[in-house]
Amino acid sequence: MKPGLKSFFDSMEAYLAAPGGLRRLQAAHPGWDAAPARVALYGDFVRYHVRSTLEKLFPLTQASVTPERWAELVRDYDATQPGRHYEMNRMGEGFPGFVADVTAARGLPEFVPALARFEWADWAVYVSEEQVPSRVERLTVNPTLTVLQHPFRLVPYIHAKGQGPTPAPGEELLLVWRHPEQLRTWFMAGHERALLAVKMALEGLSAGDVVAATGLAQAVVQQALAECTGNGLLLAP
Amino acid sequence: MSKSYAQRHGLKSLGVGIGLRRPFYEQLPLTERTLDWVEIIPENFLTIGGQPQRVLDACAERWKLLPHGVGLNIGGPDALDEDYVTRLTALVRRVDAPFFSDHLCYSRLGGVYLHDLLPLPFNEEAVEHVVPRVREVKERVGRPFLLENPSYYARMPGGTLAEADFLRHVAEQADCGLLLDVNNVYVNARNHGYDPRAFIDALPLERVVQTHLAGHLRREDVIIDTHGAEVCDEVWQLYRYVVERTGPVSTLIEWDQDIPSMEAVLDQADLARAAMGEVAR
Repeated sequence: MKPGLKSFFDSMEAYLAAPGGLRRLQAAHPGWDAAPARVALYGDFVRYHVRSTLEKLFPLTQASVTPERWAELVRDYDATQPGRHYEMNRMGEGFPGFVADVTAARGLPEFVPALARFEWADWAVYVSEEQVPSRVERLTVNPTLTVLQHPFRLVPYIHAKGQGPTPAPGEELLLVWRHPEQLRTWFMAGHERALLAVKMALEGLSAGDVVAATGLAQAVVQQALAECTGNGLLLAP
Repeated sequence: MSKSYAQRHGLKSLGVGIGLRRPFYEQLPLTERTLDWVEIIPENFLTIGGQPQRVLDACAERWKLLPHGVGLNIGGPDALDEDYVTRLTALVRRVDAPFFSDHLCYSRLGGVYLHDLLPLPFNEEAVEHVVPRVREVKERVGRPFLLENPSYYARMPGGTLAEADFLRHVAEQADCGLLLDVNNVYVNARNHGYDPRAFIDALPLERVVQTHLAGHLRREDVIIDTHGAEVCDEVWQLYRYVVERTGPVSTLIEWDQDIPSMEAVLDQADLARAAMGEVAR
């Protein structure tokens, strides 16, 4: 690459990494008569893509903090230059970790990092490249299943689309998976029946094994299996 | 008379298509409306699973799919993204696309994807930089490749060539096709004060294999290429001007923001089909 072109790219990189430097950019190119407002559009566009992508991926997280706090989060996350992948949505992958790092210092609600982690998992499961087999030989856990664990009861808050009471403290296992036919993301709290059914699939246990080992009623075990195969968490032969 | 780029590659007009966008995932594969082909943004299908994969496969059973990328970064300083090109090649072959396209711009700096289409300076240095990259992509993907004329709001510093000459030099030296975005011609002509018809006349039209039609946003001091509205009358007139010179050409109705109902986009596609038919008659 010729030096002139390299110099052009270097100056644009510096400008877009910190778009406040419009004057610096124009000073780097004496005689460049482009209107500053026109050049500034590019900084605006690049920042818009980050902001709009985060708003699309993390609507509940956004709703759970004040507009000012959200604007700060977006601005400061943008400064980490998260666009390291050609797929635009992937720029949100590091956002939950970023939020977790700054939650205490910024006085954000304590449940927000867990909520952001759920919202990223929701997207990642939706587009997961895991192939769900159309037929299985035995009870099988849906390969898109992602299990999140956190010290807040998020599920009612998510079901209420962030409109309900603030999530209460308390350990929660949150199961997230893609329904094999609908191809939409499902989630639920990992209650005992669901975890029992997952254990049966993972360890190849029959209903009879479980009844004998736990003393649970056969009907309870069968109901757990029916529920978890019906919602696609487990795949049945 | 020398053969056009399309003739040399055995490409014919596919008619009028629309883009496969997420709001259309459920309806598009089932539509009974006339639709000649479907455009896909490859970045949405390079890592593929779940519903996007199902929809892609369903559309591929009914229509030709044309990948139109936004992340190739053909003009950027970074080396071509190995993973991107490998997956793009696989996608183009998977859907058996007759050709594929991206924009004559850059979209990545210092390893960071900007997710925007930024203009290059119109000069010989940029031509020299882009041409071997185009050749490499063509060779690796193994299908005809088109470059789109992007919209731009400011001429970049160091420009020494007219915009049409810049496009011509790249296309001819790299021997690639052109995707002529008619809305971009209109937007650029208005924003930079030139005659869009003279610009079109200065292009190597024998390399135009596809056109784009889209809407834009008029601000007080600038027109923004948003792909967020119906095609305006002036762009329809310009489209007719293009087709009078190129003959029938694969045409896309692009709608990417404030996406309306699929029926509304298909209505625009019907208008394009009618216009192409009238002009080519």
